[in-house]
Amino acid sequence: MLQLTDVTKTYPTPQGALHVLDGVDLHLGAGESLALMGESGSGKSTLLHLAAGLDLPDRGDIHLDGERLSTLGEPRRAALRRQQLGLVFQQFHLVPSLSVADNLSLQARLAEREDNHWTQHLLARLGLAGLNDRYPEQLSGGQQQRLAIGRALAAKPRLLLADEPTGNLDETAADEVLDLLASLVDESGCALLMVTHSARVAAPMDRCLRLQHGRLAEPGE
Amino acid sequence: MKRSAWACVVVLAAIAIAVLGWQFRPAGEPSSSGYAGLADSSGDFAVAGPHIELRFPQDHGPHPDYRIEWWYLTANLRGEDGRPFGVQWTLFRQALAPPTALATDDQPWSSRQLWMAHAAVSTPSDHYFAERFARGGIKQAGVRITPFAAWLDNWSLMAPPATRGLEHLEVTAQGDDFGYRLQLTAEGPLVRHGDGGFSQKSADGQGSMYYSQPFYRVSGEVRIAGESIAVSGRAWLDREWSSQLLGPGQSGWDWFSLHLDSGAKLMAFRLRGGGEANAGDYVSGSWISAQGQVTPLGDDQGDEELRLTPLAHSRVAGRRLPTAWRVEVPGHGLDFEVRARHPKQWMGTSFAYWEGMVAVEGSHAGVGYLEMTGY
Amino acid sequence: MTPARMAVLRTSLATLLSHYRRHPGQLAMLIVGLWVASALWSGVQAINASARDSYARAEALFSSDLDSITRRDGRPLSLDDYLTLRRAGLRVSPLVEGEWTSAAGDTLTLIGIDPLTLPDDAPLGRTESSAGSLRDWLLPPHRVRVAPDTAAQLNDATRLPPLEIDPALPPGTLVTDIGVAQRLLGFEGQLTRLVIAAERSAELPAGFVRTSAAVIASPGQLTESFHLNLTAMGLLALVVGLFIVHAALGLALEQRLGLLRTLRALGVPARTLIAALALELLVIGLVGAALGIASGVLLAQALLPDVAASLAELYDSNVGTTLALPWHYWLGGLVITLGGLFSAGASMLWRAARLNVLALGQAQAWRGRLRRQLGIQGWLGGVLLLVAALLWWRLSGRAGQQELALSFAMVAALLLGTALWLPPLLAGALRLAARRLRNRPLAQWAVADLQLQLPRLQLPMMALLLALATNLGVGSMVGGFRLTFLDWLDQRLLADLYVRPPAEQFDAVRDWLIERPEVATLLPARSSDATLIGSDSRNAGGTDTATPVKLFGIAPEPILRRHWPLLDTHAGREAAWRALAGGEAFINEQLARRHSLAPGDTLRLRTAQGTRRLSIAAIYPDYGNPSGEITLPVTRLASEFSAPPGSLGVVLAKDRASRDALMARLREGLAARFGLAGPTLIDQRSLKRSATEVFERTFAITQALNALTLGVAGLALLTTLLAQAETRRAQLAPLWALGVTRARLVGVQLAQLLAAATGTALLAVPLGLALSYALVAVINVAAFGWRLPLHVFPGQIAVTLMLALMVAALAALLPAWRLWRVPPRQLLQEFAAS
Repeated sequence: MLQLTDVTKTYPTPQGALHVLDGVDLHLGAGESLALMGESGSGKSTLLHLAAGLDLPDRGDIHLDGERLSTLGEPRRAALRRQQLGLVFQQFHLVPSLSVADNLSLQARLAEREDNHWTQHLLARLGLAGLNDRYPEQLSGGQQQRLAIGRALAAKPRLLLADEPTGNLDETAADEVLDLLASLVDESGCALLMVTHSARVAAPMDRCLRLQHGRLAEPGE
Repeated sequence: MKRSAWACVVVLAAIAIAVLGWQFRPAGEPSSSGYAGLADSSGDFAVAGPHIELRFPQDHGPHPDYRIEWWYLTANLRGEDGRPFGVQWTLFRQALAPPTALATDDQPWSSRQLWMAHAAVSTPSDHYFAERFARGGIKQAGVRITPFAAWLDNWSLMAPPATRGLEHLEVTAQGDDFGYRLQLTAEGPLVRHGDGGFSQKSADGQGSMYYSQPFYRVSGEVRIAGESIAVSGRAWLDREWSSQLLGPGQSGWDWFSLHLDSGAKLMAFRLRGGGEANAGDYVSGSWISAQGQVTPLGDDQGDEELRLTPLAHSRVAGRRLPTAWRVEVPGHGLDFEVRARHPKQWMGTSFAYWEGMVAVEGSHAGVGYLEMTGY
Repeated sequence: MTPARMAVLRTSLATLLSHYRRHPGQLAMLIVGLWVASALWSGVQAINASARDSYARAEALFSSDLDSITRRDGRPLSLDDYLTLRRAGLRVSPLVEGEWTSAAGDTLTLIGIDPLTLPDDAPLGRTESSAGSLRDWLLPPHRVRVAPDTAAQLNDATRLPPLEIDPALPPGTLVTDIGVAQRLLGFEGQLTRLVIAAERSAELPAGFVRTSAAVIASPGQLTESFHLNLTAMGLLALVVGLFIVHAALGLALEQRLGLLRTLRALGVPARTLIAALALELLVIGLVGAALGIASGVLLAQALLPDVAASLAELYDSNVGTTLALPWHYWLGGLVITLGGLFSAGASMLWRAARLNVLALGQAQAWRGRLRRQLGIQGWLGGVLLLVAALLWWRLSGRAGQQELALSFAMVAALLLGTALWLPPLLAGALRLAARRLRNRPLAQWAVADLQLQLPRLQLPMMALLLALATNLGVGSMVGGFRLTFLDWLDQRLLADLYVRPPAEQFDAVRDWLIERPEVATLLPARSSDATLIGSDSRNAGGTDTATPVKLFGIAPEPILRRHWPLLDTHAGREAAWRALAGGEAFINEQLARRHSLAPGDTLRLRTAQGTRRLSIAAIYPDYGNPSGEITLPVTRLASEFSAPPGSLGVVLAKDRASRDALMARLREGLAARFGLAGPTLIDQRSLKRSATEVFERTFAITQALNALTLGVAGLALLTTLLAQAETRRAQLAPLWALGVTRARLVGVQLAQLLAAATGTALLAVPLGLALSYALVAVINVAAFGWRLPLHVFPGQIAVTLMLALMVAALAALLPAWRLWRVPPRQLLQEFAAS
């Protein structure tokens, strides 16, 4: 599903080049779930962005669903994101001008893959049924993040990329959201790459990796 | 930006606006000085002096080579009910430039001669006056010798057709709210003042040519605010020309022309200032007998002594004027007071002065006119 | 204020201003808005102030309190005439007036006066009080008084007496002694007129006429409409500029709400915070006003020569071509700019004052606020439109000069009302569109997102609406006027050549021309003056006035009868011409409107030959003429009104040779036989050309201001887009992350803006047409005295739509390009935890 080979990413800083990622190799199979841990600034988000094709590595290859990202133009990468990926951000990034229902099905519609049953099902599972005509700012934080997850899953992606999805929530809401995320991922059968710094969040995942000094390691290594 | 920098911007803007405003401000006006320019030096003008002999009727006409000249008539009148009235009619001529400067006196609109006329009527309690201007060369104003005529617009002092001299005259003038028409008949001779007609005006020796006809008997009518009043009385015509009337430092004069009930007349003047430290007033005059014989009067040096002393002052038009006088000529036993009928006889004309009827009481009784300038 | 509070204020102000360090675009937008608003306004005001100054000077000089006396027989006055009146006790003063050409070729009005007889305190003789200056004035080399602006152009030291500067004189005017003026003008022995103080009554001898100062129309009144026009344009520009300011302030407040709450939470009193905000406004306002006034003066300097030329040609009034600005102009500019800024900032201060400190970090309920705001705008706009409708209804009956301000008020209400309706209408259209676009997610998002942008976009869109509507309205009016005017010129200028022979040659030239084979028809014309003393109208009843009117004599030849335009007749065209031959008169539209006259009414005239009654047979259009005119057969004007010989219009024979050859032969003949050449012969083509030039110049200013206003609207849009670019990026980044390419995002952005602009333009079209109708049917009638047919130009409407799209596209180009070029990294940063 997702294959990173010797991926290196360097950002120029006033203090010299910063090696955020330094020869990272990572494989994520279909339906597999992986937690990516690490200190803040360790390059977790960068790795996620590279996996989503939002950015390109300086060296190394990323294969997503068999396609080599670095050889694809932006339109193709964008199409890949629409159709194969779901993205969940810490800041939710909902579209304030669209209603709950329209936010939920936005990506599915963009991917021309709207499935009404699935959407209704998601709404019900996410506890958003009856809030269809509300707007994002009228929801609580937990509801907003659930809506963001719904939006990412509505297009039935093959890979869900989540960046600290519970970072902005209190513990109760976070647990609720995580449970929901896990079960929905199971239901849809998509793979999950989740960036988090919380071991508690990482625990239920199939695998857990730690990013340190730009390299990947098994936790505890 | 720092606070001080902001302050700079504001101050600069204010200065810029102020500077631009100054650029667009209106320009100032020029100014002048001196009472009617009468103390200006004579320059290239003809100069009056004792050597000049008066000749008539030629000298009734204008003397364009002299700077200034006037035909000055004052009349003390009474209505049929005995109320006192006064009338003034004056034509002034002024040459703006000496005769050598240009010879364009006859060209229309480019004459160097300027004419000004004043007319006034004094009633027992009021005073009416008007003035007119004209330039020479266009016959809007002028003086003709024979038959005599002096005029400006429709104001005139005129002898009947086919007469010579000034024995019979008609004078007329109209202002906005007054007017008069008077017939004058001379009952005595012309009178030459000073030294055969040269009247010295300061110790430095400058003066004017000066003669009078003080013996007019008058009748006619005065019109005030639409009301016509028949009047009769006496009038006095002064003729005077000069190129420098006042000496340096002289600021103005007080001038008397008095008809005494005895039939005698007195002309007297005091020129203020001039001489040493501008302190010496110059006093002069003429005692005119009922028959027209003249005795020059002066300040006790050669001439018979004449003393003029202010007795009381009034505030007129924002100025302090002596409106009551003591006049003494010890040699002729004269010692009387001259009082303005009322102080309001102010001529608020371009060159303003006081000119009005007075009453004489004391050793002699009579009426007359007093003129005061330069206050 | 205590030092402690001072420190709080200083710190708060510094903190508030730090916002602009991070968002310099917003500061630039604020200052640019103020700048253009105040530049256009103060430019127009500078022109008006300068022109008013010129009129005031001219009025003080001529019309103030001096009546004119001339000879009844029209011959020049002589010195004897003057002396006769003076000897009769009339306090008249002689005056010589003529055109004098300087070495540089400028034509100046030379006035000769006699300071000795001018009525007291007449401005003409004002500075003659001191004996010295009178001597200089009367004696060689004399003096000539001139306004400083005119003095700067004069370099005729050899021909003119020494100059004396007098700022009170109108431009283009020289005043000198009467003798000097006679010599310079070659008027020896002649006087142009005699003047007398207006309050002085006088019995004039027979043979003289007195014209009252009150009747001599002052340029100030005539040109008032022209300046009101300019002021209205300036005001429009000011409003459009203030839209930018308002938008910028709203943005700057919104983005600083969090900061304001933080400051309040940190212990800054509300009052101090308001004071700091007000101080910020003041500082920005002063900078904007200084920039604006300075540019306004430059703008005025650039436009003034055109304005002066227009006024000279339209109203025959002299306006200086250099600026003369009184102190109150500068203060006025500052006050208007600051006033406009604070009116725009009032809502910001109000909101800041009512800030809820506890609402820290709470999301803004923007949707409800927008709905409320749109509702209020709808109501307010409705009220304004109702006011406009009422005014229209009241004005459509009749519109005189005094109704002009009301007419502009109507137009202002119409424009503002419609502008207020624009955002609710756009919002409604977007709601409708959103429903239909469910299946096209990106389009649906674009529509929903446009609604989100509406609070920010509405002000520049309103500005665009106003600019587009005035462009269309004024464009249609000018275009329609041009059509009508050119048509009218063709009808009125029938002759190919106009000959104006000297009076003594007139008969000989006429007889010679009649005999020539090249001449098909001869159209003699004469003119004279009279005073309209009253009228008997069936509609308006009888009136009494004392208005000077021009009498114009025409030759009712068949060709003229066929072409001469008539607006309204008593009993048809043919009957009207028969009535004219039978002793009735035609009057021009201006006269008819000013005195509410219609065909069938009668006029009472006072002329040198006594009083006359004339029946009105028809009304004809007379564009470009500020005054009333009565037309009669030329023979009648000559015999009954002793009009002096005028011009001879020559219609060339059509069937012979070419026009040019005929014309050349005729010119040769006239030159050889009568020595006529140069300005006594006027070719119809050059006459048309100069008339068209006058026309174009008259509207050059309007069109220039119009274009500037459109530019300002574009600027408003651009600055708004730039200022919200950062916010937009945060809104666009998730879309990009969801798989919408930057190229498409840019496309969507452009499409959004073009859609909004199209909506605006669609509303601008009817508004522009309404405005055009108001201009031709109400404002022109009030301002100039003539009404024009309404022309709708489809091309112009298309141009309006194109302009809207172009302005929107141009404004969107830079932000779109920047979005296109934004590196993904910057978009990624939007996802970084805040």
